[in-house]
Amino acid sequence: MEPGDAARPGSGRATGTPPPRLLLLPLLPLLLGWGLRVAAAASASSSGAAAEDSSAMEELATEKEAEESHRQDSVSLLTFILLLTLTILTIWLFKHRRVRFLHETGLAMIYGLIVGVILRYGTPATSGRDKSLSCTQEDRAFSTLLVNVSGKFFEYTLKGEISPGKINSVEQNDMLRKVTFDPEVFFNILLPPIIFHAGYSLKKRHFFRNLGSILAYAFLGTAVSCFIIGNLMYGVVKLMKIMGQLSDKFYYTDCLFFGAIISATDPVTVLAIFNELHADVDLYALLFGESVLNDAVAIVLSSSIVAYQPAGLNTHAFDAAAFFKSVGIFLGIFSGSFTMGAVTGVVTALVTKFTKLHCFPLLETALFFLMSWSTFLLAEACGFTGVVAVLFCGITQAHYTYNNLSVESRSRTKQLFEVLHFLAENFIFSYMGLALFTFQKHVFSPIFIIGAFVAIFLGRAAHIYPLSFFLNLGRRHKIGWNFQHMMMFSGLRGAMAFALAIRDTASYARQMMFTTTLLIVFFTVWIIGGGTTPMLSWLNIRVGVDPDQDPPPNNDSFQVLQGDGPDSARGNRTKQESAWIFRLWYSFDHNYLKPILTHSGPPLTTTLPAWCGLLARCLTSPQVYDNQEPLREEDSDFILTEGDLTLTYGDSTVTANGSSSSHTASTSLEGSRRTKSNSEEVLERDLGMGDQKVSSRGTRLVFPLEDNA
Amino acid sequence: MERQSRVMSEKDEYQFQHQGAVELLVFNFLLILTILTIWLFKNHRFRFLHETGGAMVYGLIMGLILRYATAPTDIESGTVYDCVKLTFSPSTLLVNITDQVYEYKYKREISQHNINPHQGNAILEKMTFDPEIFFNVLLPPIIFHAGYSLKKRHFFQNLGSILTYAFLGTAISCIVIGLIMYGFVKAMIHAGQLKNGDFHFTDCLFFGSLMSATDPVTVLAIFHELHVDPDLYTLLFGESVLNDAVAIVLTYSISIYSPKENPNAFDAAAFFQSVGNFLGIFAGSFAMGSAYAIITALLTKFTKLCEFPMLETGLFFLLSWSAFLSAEAAGLTGIVAVLFCGVTQAHYTYNNLSSDSKIRTKQLFEFMNFLAENVIFCYMGLALFTFQNHIFNALFILGAFLAIFVARACNIYPLSFLLNLGRKQKIPWNFQHMMMFSGLRGAIAFALAIRNTESQPKQMMFTTTLLLVFFTVWVFGGGTTPMLTWLQIRVGVDLDENLKEDPSSQHQEANNLDKNMTKAESARLFRMWYSFDHKYLKPILTHSGPPLTTTLPEWCGPISRLLTSPQAYGEQPKEDDVECIVNQDELAINYQEQASSPCSPPARLGLDQKASPQTPGKENIYEGDLGLGGYELKLEQTLGQSQLN
Repeated sequence: MEPGDAARPGSGRATGTPPPRLLLLPLLPLLLGWGLRVAAAASASSSGAAAEDSSAMEELATEKEAEESHRQDSVSLLTFILLLTLTILTIWLFKHRRVRFLHETGLAMIYGLIVGVILRYGTPATSGRDKSLSCTQEDRAFSTLLVNVSGKFFEYTLKGEISPGKINSVEQNDMLRKVTFDPEVFFNILLPPIIFHAGYSLKKRHFFRNLGSILAYAFLGTAVSCFIIGNLMYGVVKLMKIMGQLSDKFYYTDCLFFGAIISATDPVTVLAIFNELHADVDLYALLFGESVLNDAVAIVLSSSIVAYQPAGLNTHAFDAAAFFKSVGIFLGIFSGSFTMGAVTGVVTALVTKFTKLHCFPLLETALFFLMSWSTFLLAEACGFTGVVAVLFCGITQAHYTYNNLSVESRSRTKQLFEVLHFLAENFIFSYMGLALFTFQKHVFSPIFIIGAFVAIFLGRAAHIYPLSFFLNLGRRHKIGWNFQHMMMFSGLRGAMAFALAIRDTASYARQMMFTTTLLIVFFTVWIIGGGTTPMLSWLNIRVGVDPDQDPPPNNDSFQVLQGDGPDSARGNRTKQESAWIFRLWYSFDHNYLKPILTHSGPPLTTTLPAWCGLLARCLTSPQVYDNQEPLREEDSDFILTEGDLTLTYGDSTVTANGSSSSHTASTSLEGSRRTKSNSEEVLERDLGMGDQKVSSRGTRLVFPLEDNA
Repeated sequence: MERQSRVMSEKDEYQFQHQGAVELLVFNFLLILTILTIWLFKNHRFRFLHETGGAMVYGLIMGLILRYATAPTDIESGTVYDCVKLTFSPSTLLVNITDQVYEYKYKREISQHNINPHQGNAILEKMTFDPEIFFNVLLPPIIFHAGYSLKKRHFFQNLGSILTYAFLGTAISCIVIGLIMYGFVKAMIHAGQLKNGDFHFTDCLFFGSLMSATDPVTVLAIFHELHVDPDLYTLLFGESVLNDAVAIVLTYSISIYSPKENPNAFDAAAFFQSVGNFLGIFAGSFAMGSAYAIITALLTKFTKLCEFPMLETGLFFLLSWSAFLSAEAAGLTGIVAVLFCGVTQAHYTYNNLSSDSKIRTKQLFEFMNFLAENVIFCYMGLALFTFQNHIFNALFILGAFLAIFVARACNIYPLSFLLNLGRKQKIPWNFQHMMMFSGLRGAIAFALAIRNTESQPKQMMFTTTLLLVFFTVWVFGGGTTPMLTWLQIRVGVDLDENLKEDPSSQHQEANNLDKNMTKAESARLFRMWYSFDHKYLKPILTHSGPPLTTTLPEWCGPISRLLTSPQAYGEQPKEDDVECIVNQDELAINYQEQASSPCSPPARLGLDQKASPQTPGKENIYEGDLGLGGYELKLEQTLGQSQLN
């Protein structure tokens, strides 16, 4: 995909629109160019200033340098922001024209690539001004360093460790260095909102209905995929060693590590298309749930692989003790993070339940945000994984706290995290594009890359098909072949794999992994993401299934459905699907947790045994008693949640749009509008651009329960 | 051995990160506490402590705990290394430690007497943010929100007075404070508390300028809650917002005032250079901010981005942020740019956004403003104990208290007198007293003071500023409600009720008179601006206003046709039109005068008159739109949607 290609669809298709739009688009690159010129000038002048060595100017020079550095920081951030702006505008064009082959993340990557090329080849390499000293005597690195330079004291902070071979390359290009972020930024700033949003917007009903399968895919599947990729890559590495293409060490643990990071699937593109086309909700829930939990598993897995350090001399042989220690670390971190997230979610729920904070939506939103952020920080401070904690916090918040919030806070929190998620995601993807050119330690190894491509497909296949087979043994509502193919197909890699790979790029093996990961992300997002729509039609997967057209979930319709032939049969099957342990959990949740944490559910006084009556009265909110009178707001929530507990509503949408799916796919690809069949029209209208419609759709899709309220 | 040291350094780094998390966690915890307490207060209608005051109290408590309850860890990082080979301080330092190369980044210069306390307590040191965070992260959302929520109509009605207070007033206050403080400094030198030559006149002026940034959040919050007279509200709010911008630029230009020979004597050339700097930076930032807002307005006008509120919100946010970054990158003041960007966005772009995005952007910035403000105030409380270089000087502090009162008086009373000469609707005495009273200091003064705490005078200033902020926020903020009753200022004036009275007959005359006065208040210059804005800018940048084809001269027909959105010609009762009517109401000054002017087609006029009974309702929407009240917003939204459907 060349820069020209990226620009052409936008401008080419815009011919029908008034010209001012065309005039405006080039404005941004112009500004960007201006920004870069400023940066170039700044770096040139600073190097000039630094060349001066007269003692009178020293102080001034340093101060100026700090100012320049601030200015350059601004410029580099500005670069990203303009990239994002450009992405937004182009995406609007694409959405407007219903071009679905390129998702916004793919586009962000393309723009990132273009700017990366410009930065790489367009800016002059400034001479390095770093000096290597050997006049200090300490034996370990401190986080701050005070240096006495001719009577003046300067404070330096530790930035990072540099492997000796790289000292020269570090100095190369100031601008390139500026646009290279500290990898921890991803973990501490950009990923949390993405992950939280994912957790917060898990479709509750469908998610819980498929919980067993999702957990199986996420845990077992990730482990399987990690091992298979690791073993395959070990073979590839051996091959490379034989061919003499390996210039440094590459251990089996490294291969496993690669397996772990590349197992984190992130099918944003596919999910966005599913969402837009209203593909089958079960498939959506399976994919989304898998990808969300997948990330958590992959993070913890990779960190426990890093922690695997056998005792003794041979540091890379198998050692049972160390292995079990790693497994222990995995379980410890995972359950710790889970607990942390769930606990803060519960605390938030309690706080919002027992205070009347909902009179002040701003305060409520702020509290919600801060509590969720605290989860992350708390987990990090305790040595757990913040991102995992945030994920489970998001799920808990959506499950409990959300019901306590005022109506306004609900939309506020949702919109807030939606915006944060959108910005963070596109930022990461445009950074990925940029990193291909600006990252200075790429190790391209064709064999490794080809091997990795083969490995991820095999890993994905070994993950989906056998597991689906086993799950189908237990599930009555089978996962169809076309679903399996689609899941196999949507093994995109994205932000999480990238963030994990960039976290440590110190050794040769890690650099090779990073480069390979980057290429895999590019390939999967562009090619596989672009191929989703054709694939959907090829696999005959129903699209146009509106999840809200499920029967209005209250008990009456439940009764009706029971006698409804195939639907009820399927409903029963889905019920059977969840093992009794899940059913146990549901009833526990419904009888105890919901009443304790939210205003809904049956009053605790009725569900708890008599001897803890006082406690029960204390914890039950007054609203619950009122709930006996039907149809208050909390009450409808309650009914809805009960709806998702009963697990009985199959999609009773008989109006499956299977026939028109291919239609949609082709039309969307061609970008022309064919309004032939009636259902097609419905679909078109749904996907259409009426702003009210889309906005309401957006909120409805994310939280189907609320909409029914 | 190598491995071990590596593990060691990794551990160090690990520790490093954990510290960061803990530090942020403390702030989160404080904010959560603040929110809960504030809820309690609001619930019981205690008005004497605003949330910012509460944040400061909690910050203080936490600071106290951190200061006296944590053991001073002995960190070796304080050891000073002498380096003979180094002749200047580079921005990055590569240090070779047992064959492992570490990269160090230049942080700051430390003066010699600060080294020892520096080694004291690792946690205290961790809790001290880099001052630039305030300027780059926390202040921009606050300032943008302020600009974005300036109530347009009342703001523009009182524009002249507000500008006078903001520019002239700040300059006066800066000079007066500077002079008084110079007197006190002289006295201190006399009393032997200060060495001669430490504290120059420019330092005093610097203090004056940073102290001039008023920030009456507390007062404004109470005003808003009690629905105090909108004119008073607007005067105070507008003054405080623009004030900040002026004070920031003023501080900057004073700090770069460096005469050639004698560094502290008066030098005309350097002075004029400073003035030039002031004007240049101010104008540049203004231009940068409004340019970005205009780009946003054009983009939102000519693309149909309103179909995707999320994209629209994202674009809005990103472009507003770019205004800040571009200004910083170009060496201007980002905050000032952001302020004007906010004002312009509210004036133009806001009308182009979809109703969903309107709410989203407002809520987003409201939320960010809330968080940032409370973080700053929390940090202030914390800084009183955790900042390690405080210099408490009783005389200086006393002098500063005196100076700010005198300066505030010199700012308000003479200027009000002068303005009253020109204004037909006078600023009454009780308003003047109230404005005098609400000279609180807040986030900006603090951020400006903490930016530079290298030298001894600067540290003294910082301590004094901190105490002043505490005092004014707690005492003045707490005293607002009694003061309001004592000064007999109207409360419970609903902005909208004020207007609803309009059509009712008994108030008709009085109101007409009222309107005429306000009309007269704005000078010719402003009227010119209004008509220009109405005829050209609004139609170019938004969907409202008369079509450009009618307002522009004939010969630029093609351009005007290109720039006018189809909606401007189109059917009148569309969503944009509602706004248009509202906007026209805002421009009523212009409108009523030349009701028969050629620029407004008769159809519109008729519609306006026909709609006049409904105007209050629409006005209501409008006010609610820009207002801060959450509930009003909600109502407005449903109303707007029902109108649409």
